[in-house]
Amino acid sequence: MSGLLVTMLLTLGAAGVYLAMPRGRSHVTGLAMILVAGLAVAGIAGLLSNLGVSSGTFSGFTMFGALAVLSAVRVITHERAVYSALYFILTIISTTALLLLMRAEFLAIALIIIYAGAILVTYVFVIMLAQQGGAVPAFDKQAREPLVGVILGFVLLSTLASRFFQPSGAAAAETVKQSGGSVEVGTHLMTQYVVGVELAGVLLLAAMVGAIALARRKAPPLAEREIDAC
Amino acid sequence: MLVPYLIVGAILFTLGVIGFMTRKNLIIIFLCTELMFQGIVVTLVALGRYPVAGMPTLDGQVFALFLLAVAASEAALALALVILLYRHKPTLDANAWKLLKEE
Repeated sequence: MSGLLVTMLLTLGAAGVYLAMPRGRSHVTGLAMILVAGLAVAGIAGLLSNLGVSSGTFSGFTMFGALAVLSAVRVITHERAVYSALYFILTIISTTALLLLMRAEFLAIALIIIYAGAILVTYVFVIMLAQQGGAVPAFDKQAREPLVGVILGFVLLSTLASRFFQPSGAAAAETVKQSGGSVEVGTHLMTQYVVGVELAGVLLLAAMVGAIALARRKAPPLAEREIDAC
Repeated sequence: MLVPYLIVGAILFTLGVIGFMTRKNLIIIFLCTELMFQGIVVTLVALGRYPVAGMPTLDGQVFALFLLAVAASEAALALALVILLYRHKPTLDANAWKLLKEE
């Protein structure tokens, strides 16, 4: 795939994300989403055909990659925080499908259990606690400098993509080893990286203690005076 | 087959960066960091399975597992901080905290 084509695809994608950003009254989400969807499918399918991968075999990758990108766009552009969290669950499920295509079964199941089962439940719980009522608050309707953010993000992405398409790069090794099952991952984890496992346990314990200590702290009386003054 | 996975991972990471810079809701900002973690998980596993030079290893999956532990810790602490901030001022607007001091 030529560099000009990649640049055009990235520019159109940036325009779609910019149009989908919440910008007060004037954003056109439906049109922008159609634009981003078409670009995601066309870009990934074109990428696969350009790399000489037969299209029938990897339609799963095209579908789930496009789904992951689309739901990620909705995560960062949706006005309501609850819907952002739900679209993020869709992103997680698509990522899990991509990991299954790479035969990382243990990591895929762990991702679903930890992210969709634990982390996202915490997020939705905090959203329910903090944003009750039907109206969308004003700060959610207006993104902060969406044009600058989108331009900076896609400069970053085009830099990364130009690295990927260098000829000396990744196309060299296409070896596929039929391993990576749970047994091998567990053995690897518990022999070579056993110190890391212990450190991760200590980190989780410290995070748990810290979270309890933070969330149990009473708000100082200054906050009440401030609320009364408002 | 390495490059398409890397592209998807880079797109997810970039979308997370864009959301982190442009949204004003504290919870969505932390959700965007999780989105960046997703991109990195895809990249790590792809680099472990289709390495540029050498044999495929399981290091990518193992690093991604450690990244899950870090992400869980980050989510717990970040949401505890959000709750603490919410008790000071009942809003999720990040601009309400731009001065980082008690007025």
